[in-house]
Amino acid sequence: MLGRVPVARRMMTAQPTRLVVSLLGVGAAIGLVLLLQGLWNGQLEQITAYQDEVGADLFVAQPGTESILGDRSAVPLATLEQITAIPGVQRADPVHIHYTVLDLHGEKEFVLLVGSDPGGLGGPWQLSSGRTASSPNDAVLDRTFADEHDLDVGSEFQMGGRDFRTVGLSEGTRSWMTSLLFVTAETARDMTGSAGVATYLLVQTDQPGTVASEIRTRTGLDPLLPATLAENDREVLAGIMEGPVLLMIGITFAVAALVVALTVYSGVVERLREYGIVKAMGAGSWVIVQLVLGQTILLAIAGSGLGYLMYLGGAWLVALARPQFWFLLEWRDVLVLASAAIGMALVAAIIPARHLGRLEPATVYRGW
Amino acid sequence: MVPVARRMLFTDRRRAVLGVVGVAIALVMVLALDGIFAGTTRQVSRYIDTSPADVFVSQEGVRTIHMAISAIPARVVDRVSKVRGVAWAEPVLFASDALRAAAGRRASYVIGYQPGGRGGPQTLVEGRPPETGEMVIDDSVARALDINVGDEVEVLGRSWRVSGLTTGMTSIVNTSVYVTFDDLAQTLGSRDVASYILIGTGADPQSVADRVAVIPGVEAQTRPRFSAEERTVVKEMSTDLLSLMSLAALLVGLAVIGLVLYATIISRLRDIGVMKAIGLGRLGLTRFVLAQALWTIGTALPLAVAVTFGIGAVVAALAPDIDLVVESASLLRAGAGAVLVGAIGVISPLIKVWRVDPATVFRRAS
Repeated sequence: MLGRVPVARRMMTAQPTRLVVSLLGVGAAIGLVLLLQGLWNGQLEQITAYQDEVGADLFVAQPGTESILGDRSAVPLATLEQITAIPGVQRADPVHIHYTVLDLHGEKEFVLLVGSDPGGLGGPWQLSSGRTASSPNDAVLDRTFADEHDLDVGSEFQMGGRDFRTVGLSEGTRSWMTSLLFVTAETARDMTGSAGVATYLLVQTDQPGTVASEIRTRTGLDPLLPATLAENDREVLAGIMEGPVLLMIGITFAVAALVVALTVYSGVVERLREYGIVKAMGAGSWVIVQLVLGQTILLAIAGSGLGYLMYLGGAWLVALARPQFWFLLEWRDVLVLASAAIGMALVAAIIPARHLGRLEPATVYRGW
Repeated sequence: MVPVARRMLFTDRRRAVLGVVGVAIALVMVLALDGIFAGTTRQVSRYIDTSPADVFVSQEGVRTIHMAISAIPARVVDRVSKVRGVAWAEPVLFASDALRAAAGRRASYVIGYQPGGRGGPQTLVEGRPPETGEMVIDDSVARALDINVGDEVEVLGRSWRVSGLTTGMTSIVNTSVYVTFDDLAQTLGSRDVASYILIGTGADPQSVADRVAVIPGVEAQTRPRFSAEERTVVKEMSTDLLSLMSLAALLVGLAVIGLVLYATIISRLRDIGVMKAIGLGRLGLTRFVLAQALWTIGTALPLAVAVTFGIGAVVAALAPDIDLVVESASLLRAGAGAVLVGAIGVISPLIKVWRVDPATVFRRAS
């Protein structure tokens, strides 16, 4: 009879309220772990958007420079001609990158000022509206940053005692730490008093290896691949934030595992009487154990699926409220967590399942 | 008066334990994540908080150390010293750069202070204060980067010998290293300039700060004010991520608490039905159910606090850079939130109880 009747499913769906509560509990716990992991992955990805997207094949930096976040680089503008003359260099442009403070409606905002030559490398790579900066008082703001401060193309604001006009809005140019603000290279030099030096020289070439070697020989400067610079910046960020963030994710993971275990254990314990009846009807111990494990696996899989949906919902809500936070989740993360949830659920189910195996059927009629 | 709700709750020990443990687990998550966020936020103003200075003077318009450039003419120190209520005034120089060693690097505040002055490390756990060409670094960074007293490190493009180790000066954002004022001035190429002036007061710090702020070109803030400004800036730039994670954990934790209490009450519907059958009215039933929810939360909260402190102790032993601080505000928030969602969580089963025909409870189990 047990072979034909889907007892596990029927027992689970016989009390839909309890099933929904269990699924929500497991889903919320798993969804939270996915949300935190996705958030952290997103920050690591987002922090290197400039290096990844600006279109340079080499960042020529002061020797010893390893990252944008952790080092200060200053390269003489005079070396630009030497670099441009190297065979294989398609284009080379200076870029000035400095932190500065923006006073908006009395509120101070730290921004990363990026100054580049009009039409050259180093400016915004995607505009949602307007144009790039071409004159001294032009500025391009990140769209989400501009939205947050009620600024749009045409809006004016002050920075460093100078008046600026928003001429364009860029996309994907904001991290949770700061927003990029694009101006002309000349403006950045004036504002930072860095005449004669740039932060980096950006180079476009089809032969990055050969050109890098030649730049090193001719100028003594240090050409870095964008991927290397990005990796170093991720390391700097990880060095700063990784400890507390991973501890938070670890605690959340442990709690999620316990919630899954507790939900499964409670479910089995609450159904002891029903399992006893099934046993009294002739089912063997192994059938009971199979029944428990089957229900547990179903709950863990469905809970993981619900958790993923909750992650998507949570990420969507965060993106609406705080667009500077990105989310990035790889399938590996989801699979690892779902496997852990199933494993934990099985461990939690085995304890009462063993008890059920030894259960004396007659006891179920005495009540629990 | 017989405490029926409590007695019935704890009579069925297995269900009671499951309910309490479920709520406690969710509370541990909320308290621990909030504790990590609080600990991290506190760390970032450690230099200010542990300084003996009561008032900090900076360039006008500069209200923080983090991401700020402050330059005050050295002659202002003499002027500040003469302000009524100022017991002592000392200049410090400040720069930020990466501390580099063979094993890696760490973002750093480089603080130049007058030898023997109050702007330097407040404690030395090993070695001695810096002399020319030397620096004191934090012990946790020394451990992390495998640096010993006597080793050479690189900061601001030059080499320094580590003369001693201080402690507690590494935060999520960076670490602090200490060199002599003259050494840093020479390295930065700055002359007759200080970044900040530290002031000790013999009077009310706020009134001293107000009197100092009259000097043109400077900003004067009391230590608590300066510390709060620093934490705000760092929060915006660095700890916002942890704040968001902590908030997500709070919301999910409270949702789990609500679900656990809902499930707990649902599993006791038969008992509650019996109470109705023997004459308990709607108000009585509501009190009964809420009392059980409160007892569950009340038992779970101390358990969760104890476990969180345990986690804090383990974290302190394994990762000294990370502080886990359980603040009273966090406890209050978690406790009040749990009671609120607990009350919401029991509404649905309560309505079910109100509607149930008392006779039915004798027909079948929950």
